Amino acid sequence: MNGNAAAAVRERYRKLEADAAARIKAIYNGPVIRVGTATCGIAAGALPVKEAFARVVEEKGLPAKIIDVGCMGHCYAEPLVIISKPGFPSLCYGYLDEDLAARLVDDFLINDDPCYEFALVALEPNDVFPTFSDFPRGVYEQKIVLEHCGFIDPGDIDHYIARGGYGALAAALGKAPAGVLDTVKESHLRGRGGAGFPAGLKWEAAVKAGPGEKYVICNADEGDPGAFMDRGILESCPHQVIEGMLLCAYAVGAERGYFYIRAEYPLAVERVRRALEQAREKGLLGGAILGSGFNCELEIFQGSGAFVCGEATALVRSMEGKMGIPATRPPRLAQSGYRGRPTVLNNVKTFAYVPPIFNRGVEWFKSIGTDDNPGTAVFSLVGKVAHTGLVEVPMGTTLRQLIFEVGEGPANGKAFKAAQIGGPSGGCLPEAALDIPIDFDSLQEAGAIMGSGGLVVLDEDDCMVAIARYFLEFTQQESCGKCTFCRLGTKHMLDILTRITEGCGEPGDLEILEELAEDVRDGSLCNLGATAPNPVLTTLRYFRDEYEAHIFEKRCPALMCKELIVYYIEPQKCSKLCNVCVGSCPTEAIYTRDDGLKAIDQEKCVKCDNCLKTCPPDYNAVIKLSPPGLLTEKEGKKA
Amino acid sequence: MSKPATIFIDGRKIDAFEGEKLLWVALRNGIYIPNLCAIRGKEHPSGSCRLCYVQVEGCSEPVTSCTLSVTDSLSVQTRSPQVDRLVKSAFELLLSHHRLGCRDCAKRKSCELLKIAKERGLKMKLTRLALLDQEAEVDDSAETFVFDRSRCVLCGRCVWICREVIKVGALGFSRRGIKRVVTTFQDVSLAQSGCIECGLCVEACPSGALYFKEGKKPAAAGQCSCRGG
Amino acid sequence: MPSIHVKRGVFLPLLEGEEELIRKSVSGVLQEYEAAQENLIPILLQVQEMLGYLPGPAMEQIAAALKIPAVDVYGLATFYNQFRLHPPGKHQLKVCMGTACYMVGGRIALECFERRLGIKEGETTPGREFSLERVACVGCCTMAPVVVVDEQVEGKVTPTRVDGILLSFEKPAAPGAEAAGQKGEDAS
Repeated sequence: MNGNAAAAVRERYRKLEADAAARIKAIYNGPVIRVGTATCGIAAGALPVKEAFARVVEEKGLPAKIIDVGCMGHCYAEPLVIISKPGFPSLCYGYLDEDLAARLVDDFLINDDPCYEFALVALEPNDVFPTFSDFPRGVYEQKIVLEHCGFIDPGDIDHYIARGGYGALAAALGKAPAGVLDTVKESHLRGRGGAGFPAGLKWEAAVKAGPGEKYVICNADEGDPGAFMDRGILESCPHQVIEGMLLCAYAVGAERGYFYIRAEYPLAVERVRRALEQAREKGLLGGAILGSGFNCELEIFQGSGAFVCGEATALVRSMEGKMGIPATRPPRLAQSGYRGRPTVLNNVKTFAYVPPIFNRGVEWFKSIGTDDNPGTAVFSLVGKVAHTGLVEVPMGTTLRQLIFEVGEGPANGKAFKAAQIGGPSGGCLPEAALDIPIDFDSLQEAGAIMGSGGLVVLDEDDCMVAIARYFLEFTQQESCGKCTFCRLGTKHMLDILTRITEGCGEPGDLEILEELAEDVRDGSLCNLGATAPNPVLTTLRYFRDEYEAHIFEKRCPALMCKELIVYYIEPQKCSKLCNVCVGSCPTEAIYTRDDGLKAIDQEKCVKCDNCLKTCPPDYNAVIKLSPPGLLTEKEGKKA
Repeated sequence: MSKPATIFIDGRKIDAFEGEKLLWVALRNGIYIPNLCAIRGKEHPSGSCRLCYVQVEGCSEPVTSCTLSVTDSLSVQTRSPQVDRLVKSAFELLLSHHRLGCRDCAKRKSCELLKIAKERGLKMKLTRLALLDQEAEVDDSAETFVFDRSRCVLCGRCVWICREVIKVGALGFSRRGIKRVVTTFQDVSLAQSGCIECGLCVEACPSGALYFKEGKKPAAAGQCSCRGG
Repeated sequence: MPSIHVKRGVFLPLLEGEEELIRKSVSGVLQEYEAAQENLIPILLQVQEMLGYLPGPAMEQIAAALKIPAVDVYGLATFYNQFRLHPPGKHQLKVCMGTACYMVGGRIALECFERRLGIKEGETTPGREFSLERVACVGCCTMAPVVVVDEQVEGKVTPTRVDGILLSFEKPAAPGAEAAGQKGEDAS
């Protein structure tokens, strides 16, 4: 591109940006209520909250605008809103309900009382209320991928453009594609899909594959149970991913790209579709992007529910209308991928890193994280942790910091037991391993993997054998069934684990399990199979005593495995005055004894846990016993 | 596949062509490597049975020979402790989902599972694994042959023949994971499917899953094109 | 004759006039796409959206149009979780079995539904009122355990909430009653 053309592209972008900035500024001239309506927010009841705001604002005839935003990552406090009113810092409120919504309109928007008692945090530095950086989480967090998530309207492209969005694309279009590729290579950006393969090298391979048709695919087939980073990003800031894909397409010479989004994410599909339409309207997508010679069309391909399609070759096959079954490699996708053409396939997060790298420079990016793992790591922090949510910390942060500082440790004062990281392909790390830094290589060494970023915190109530079994059941159900090891090996491993959790484990089971796990790891065709044994191998490595308790003592130390526990009501704690458990029992297994206290008919009990949950905290009379044999002891004492 | 290459299999010097898959070179030269799913003429090897592992010199992990492209002076061993471990394990896994009882099996004389067991000194019974449940279904609706799924090893040869050679497409894979089966549209019987009873799938089948009914073997059965050397 | 995994003959007979509806719907969908195998999944998804499931004649018609063996369409429909070969219930209950949900009682919620409805996961109640499925993670892990009720995500589904969800279908409730019920639940 010659200098004039490059200048024309820049000029055209400058105008887009100026228009967008003016429009957004006008919106924020008055009060604005931003409601987090990503899937998690909606599940927590964000829509009725939004309606309540709308209703009250209309009733009172206020000029306030109500805007949908995505997920800002503090999912534990959903539904969340941000209220911006000129003259005040923007304030974020959590745990909203309709009453609080009405009250905030009355007190804050009408009467200038921001109700600090309900506010969680202020967005901008101010003299009255703490901001994110005043909390431990804010100290550790550094947002690149999630920078705009939860703050902008994903359904209105101007919000993104007003924050400089698509500026990286406009600048790149003025350079040669090779220069764009060089920047990504120099940044040492590693793919965030799980394996951490350098993105620049992948792109370069597609360039080297020669001229002709090429494709860029964004892998949003986020199938790991317990992981929702990609959903969060697509629902909250789809344009950043689109811009990253366009930069990639420009660098490798592709004119067509696809979002491969799993069907379980209808809202993500909807928001990406809308984002693509708006980008097209603004001339940022399609023919002659920003008036340059670069054409690129992006489309959505909806997956149809198969975990294995997260594997690159399986994903491409499913796009070709076939079963999502991994193929032998070579050839690699960069040589022969979709439609037999060179294809670059990267994860949602990988693409989302690209625009900030261009905007702020390679050196800035490399200054975050560690030498071999520059940048940040995005996790969905879930499970038994106080502050669940989407978090983004620099690579090299330790797991301990992530779980205990950012996540504020296990919820309800329970003792931490393990961190399950990397989903079904990852592993369970014990307390002792928490000081390892989070990066691709260290986690692999510890037996887990970074995976795409699911982190589930497990506490003392979680049985590690049951966890291993859960993941094995998952991979076994999701195995495509093509290769011998994965199809049959995981089935046998699952059968053994099931036996152990049901109290039917035998001496020798652990040895067979271990052998099989190693064979499946070494012999499987694709990475799904090769990593499927990780949950078993890590739990065997770090929590072998729990397996042994199940096998030799028929005891579940975490009191979780149904066949190895019984529910029991302690007479000395139970009260004659309370009948809650009796009503809660779905099978009428709880009866009132002659003395007015309650007891459980073990024959009828289905171990649904209802009575234990409903027994008032004043009594806490319902307990679990393992092994079930303890019951005779207890009942003997009573008699 | 034009440039000649000299390679070494178990120390034996062998002439081959670059780009050929090692499995076929070995078999052509009378060196047996266990295999079930390999199909000659299929562009991309399926690599699903995981039996054809070999040890490449300078490479710590065994690799499947059906996917290994020959390069000049490549040197491989068909056996190594690691290879043997994987082959033994894969074989036992396959047996754990295969109805044994060779005495009654129509294919006992040409069974490739028996051949693998013989070549590698493996047992035709389960030592560490339990037999997986299988509700056996025998489809004898076709006039000339029987389809006994309980002996199917999912190698995919019949499926390939049915669509790529005969271009009928009556057989296909369905479902996934442990439930993956070779089947017909909506699991109808072969007689109700589009099967033309050419019999090539029966000849291609390495196990007792597909076999001709007594006296129904076609006299002029075609040469099975997926296996020819 | 017993079959391996799916009992033969379980494909329900079509209702009167259904075949015509199927043919029309499929023809309509096929017109929107180029007849290429790479459009197979989008076509199947769209047909299923119209018909609620993938009846046999629909799969055959699609296969014929794309010039691929019908068994391939069947294979695909049985491979992916999204496709159903049976008519669904009027209300679809999907219990999330992601890690977070599983750990805090997803299985318990599933069992509650099974007990209350008298069916197992993957089944439809005899009157075709409810169908019950388990789904892989729906990505709402912080709301665990989660149940998707007719596309609506319900969080923190305790056994009592299971009863609440089912009760809400028993009589036509006023709009908003559902949400109010949920709020009351959370506050307790």
